[in-house]
Amino acid sequence: MLVDAQGAFANDTLDELVLRTQQGDQVAFAALYEQCHRRVYALCLRLLADQAHAEDACQEVFVQLWHKMSQFNGQSKFTTWLHSVTSNIAISYLRKQKNWLNKVVSFECSGMDEASISLCGDLDGLDKLILKLPERARLVFVLHAVEGYRHEEIASMLGMAVGSSKSQYHRARKLLQEWYEND
Amino acid sequence: MTKPNFDEFLAKSLEERDNPEHMPKPQKPLWSGIEKAINTASSVGTSPVNQHNRANVWRQVSAIAASTLVGMCVVYFSMKPVEQSSVMQMSNYFEQQKQTLLVQYGSLPALTNDWQVQLQELEQAEQAIKTALENDPENAALLQMLAQVYQQQLDLINRVHQPRWQQI
Repeated sequence: MLVDAQGAFANDTLDELVLRTQQGDQVAFAALYEQCHRRVYALCLRLLADQAHAEDACQEVFVQLWHKMSQFNGQSKFTTWLHSVTSNIAISYLRKQKNWLNKVVSFECSGMDEASISLCGDLDGLDKLILKLPERARLVFVLHAVEGYRHEEIASMLGMAVGSSKSQYHRARKLLQEWYEND
Repeated sequence: MTKPNFDEFLAKSLEERDNPEHMPKPQKPLWSGIEKAINTASSVGTSPVNQHNRANVWRQVSAIAASTLVGMCVVYFSMKPVEQSSVMQMSNYFEQQKQTLLVQYGSLPALTNDWQVQLQELEQAEQAIKTALENDPENAALLQMLAQVYQQQLDLINRVHQPRWQQI
């Protein structure tokens, strides 16, 4: 069923859409998707550095959101909760993508190449650079600098030491600066 | 106009991160897959409680299978140094996985017609990397590339035989 969510809920605020979705209103959920899918996709793309995986993860976020909406208790802003759900799902998605070869050989995945980045549509300058970062540096930079998590939280989310999170952040900043200045 | 320094550029970019105009957007419509997944779950009458239990069972089965497989690989590779024969064993194992998938999906229609051409291109890349590894068997970058090409082949076979909404 295709729903005209934009038309039906054009003037509703995010809070109203959340409330209606919690009551099982799928049309409101479609409108919620319209309002929020770009921020969810953007975060997935920054964390996963792969367009197809980011699209899959974005779908997974909204399917899980539909089932988990009752868990949102309104104590924080909906977008804050949404970013937290998205970060966790994207990190878990990344772990699932690691096959036995990656686990055995234990390589760090490099970032996207220029050609793949150009296929991702219009990206701003920082996003283009973030996608080039190696995996660990990228995850830490996105979670700390973009999403505002503390290093202690990141260490727990990614299963690394707090010191590693800090050093990966500095590594990321250094690489970004180098690329920016040489661009 | 002079280029702003890196700190200014970073601060400005981070400030604008919540502006929809600066957010990347998916290259294809995603809502239909989400809607299908939600409605499929509803039509089979899966309550959140049942879904949770079923997901737990599958998670446990998958975890056992995955850890067994990874464990076997870790034991195998830790017994041997990274050398040509290990690369060959890795390749043999991958080939086995690939053939299993091809047999499994043999009777199912593929979503695209040119997937076999794409597979051939990946196989050519695989051969080129293997040739390079013959001269430099411990080259980490080459091993990583080989692993990625193997994974891309498995992903391709899976992807063209499974509509995206079913993968959710």
